[in-house]
Amino acid sequence: MTLYLLCYALFLVGLYGLITKRDIVKIILASGIMGYAVNLMIVLFGYKRQAIYPILEKGKPVASMVDPLPQALVLTSIVIELGTTALLVALAVRLFRKYRTYDITKIRRLRG
Amino acid sequence: MNEKPGMSIIVKTTCRIILWVVFLYGFYIILFGHLSPGGGFGGGVVLALGFLSIVLAYGRSYALDWLSIPRLEKAEAGAVLLFLVIALLGVVAGGAFLQNFMSKGSLFHLYSSGVIPFLNIVIGLKVGLSLFLVAWALTEYDSEDGDEE
Repeated sequence: MTLYLLCYALFLVGLYGLITKRDIVKIILASGIMGYAVNLMIVLFGYKRQAIYPILEKGKPVASMVDPLPQALVLTSIVIELGTTALLVALAVRLFRKYRTYDITKIRRLRG
Repeated sequence: MNEKPGMSIIVKTTCRIILWVVFLYGFYIILFGHLSPGGGFGGGVVLALGFLSIVLAYGRSYALDWLSIPRLEKAEAGAVLLFLVIALLGVVAGGAFLQNFMSKGSLFHLYSSGVIPFLNIVIGLKVGLSLFLVAWALTEYDSEDGDEE
């Protein structure tokens, strides 16, 4: 339970950065932190105490492994997060070309 | 801007030596993905970083001569097609989409997972090339002048 709460705290750190920061690069990093917190939470759902990594090897009992399904799901999540980050970075580059700044309070002329 | 693009000769020489080791490691991770940690995605990322180190060390114009970007784009799109072909071969072999139609071999050997290693190779190609091309597309803005006001 403590681990889940810590994950939630990490998610809130990301949310705080996303809401309060003005620099677009910092906002992108904050959204990344939020994604990492969610991934960590999903991996923790499959965690068992005293268990080992879920890779089949000679003479290793299957029962002592952690659940590999959340890890496989998180891999997909990481790929999607990568795509989202690439899109955000591309938008930031476009904005920088147009306005010559990363400060979102100075990006106000949204027409034309 | 100095006349030689890219970084210093130390970085270039180190990149030249290390590059093939990076590619070898990426292919190792892809090929052994069904036996050990790794697989198509992880190995593909290593391949993409190998490509990116060329661009970072030697500069964009040299990389443009060395790598044929349109051909890489075609290979990236072709990887998806190859995945689809392998997946549909499962249907042809009398089963479902992505069904295994090859011998499963013996456990804990390289040839042991039927069709999965081939799918890993295709995914590694796709991930490596598309990650590299995303970063490449982002560097294209750098060389252009901004359309200021």
